[in-house]
Amino acid sequence: MAKARAIIKRRKAVDNIRKITRTMELIATARFRKAMDRAVEAEAYTKKIAEMAADLGESSPSTPHPLFEKREPVKNSLLLVLSSNRGLAGGYNGNVLRAAMRDYQDLQAEGSTVDVEISGKRGQNFWKYRKLPISVGYLQFEDKPAFAEVEKLAERYLAMFLEGKIDRMDVAYTRFVNTSRQEAVVRTLLPIQVDAADADAKPADAAPAAGGPARQRTPYEFLPDAEGILQEMVPVSFKVRLFKCFLDAAVSEQIARMVAMKGASQNADELSKTLTRQYNRARQSQITGDLADIVGAATALK
Amino acid sequence: MASQTETAVADGPGLTSRPLQCQVVTPEKTVFAKTVDFVALPLFDGELGVLPGRAPLLGRLGYGELRIKVGGASESYFVDGGFAQVRDNVVTVLTNRALPAAKIETNGTAERLDEILKRPAVTDAEIAEKAKAVAQLRAMLHISNKR
Repeated sequence: MAKARAIIKRRKAVDNIRKITRTMELIATARFRKAMDRAVEAEAYTKKIAEMAADLGESSPSTPHPLFEKREPVKNSLLLVLSSNRGLAGGYNGNVLRAAMRDYQDLQAEGSTVDVEISGKRGQNFWKYRKLPISVGYLQFEDKPAFAEVEKLAERYLAMFLEGKIDRMDVAYTRFVNTSRQEAVVRTLLPIQVDAADADAKPADAAPAAGGPARQRTPYEFLPDAEGILQEMVPVSFKVRLFKCFLDAAVSEQIARMVAMKGASQNADELSKTLTRQYNRARQSQITGDLADIVGAATALK
Repeated sequence: MASQTETAVADGPGLTSRPLQCQVVTPEKTVFAKTVDFVALPLFDGELGVLPGRAPLLGRLGYGELRIKVGGASESYFVDGGFAQVRDNVVTVLTNRALPAAKIETNGTAERLDEILKRPAVTDAEIAEKAKAVAQLRAMLHISNKR
């Protein structure tokens, strides 16, 4: 009976794990919904800013701003990595960290000193394990990044860039494409790239243009003046972009965890089934053996 | 052609009689969007009132009080910088933070203001930062004291 009991024990363990993974899947689903709602709500701001920038651009073509200025060669750079605090999220952290590592090595190969800032325990442990230096680590960004907190970071980066302490700032994060597709990417946020801004602005631009040709060329009154507003808008657009990275990362993390836990639950289901089958077979063979013993004993007594 | 007729309608006499829409958007969410009678925007150099039918405007906001009037009742919000846009009877306020006057944390604001005022600021960046913090806290105190 020893083997059968061992199988039962294992099956129990598997069932328990399944219960846990199933619960984690449900939690991740709930969190994902919330994070998704936040991301959708945040879109209104991005859209409006892009619209205003477009309106401003019409009246004052391309104002140079120090944040647009590309510096060659890049002597000092900063890499911000957005990973999660918790594990059990499938390939989420692995993918981000792989992308971050590649960028880190590329930047070093170009001969620049790289400061690495990592949000999330997982990323920090990865970096520590490789004995690489981390300048600053953050743990406070969970599934609900607050704008006020992100803004503090953004302001520091802006100051560093303007003072010339860094020549480039990259963010490694998981971009949220749609619910079934997220990809780990590295994006250069400083200096602000014009083509990247265009790509972001396009969907927002396209919508009002389609909505009505009437809204083009509104004769705005500018306070103080178009240029002054644009100068003020550039840092804001950087902050919003950084905030969007955090939101994307939060949503993607929850999706990754959801998918990973779903897979784990399914595997546990399968394993539990296989173990039940094995147990039944073991029990049957044991009974057959016992019966053979009894019959054998009975014939011997005759 | 369609565009011309539409502009004509927007510029027509109907504009002043149509209600004013006001929406306040922060990077995190849309704080509110509703029909109002009057909006007072805290621009960078002073307050600016907006009634239905105002000409299109793009402006930079300072730290201060955003007041809206709906049917005699008025509401007040603390606005933390940003931009305002007025177009076709829609007032859009983009700001980092918008707090209803009732929700402003008064605890310790005065103390923090004192503390910041005492702090020495030497470099340009420090002076700018100090001025910003002072303006922010003063506006907050002003709004919460008014209630």
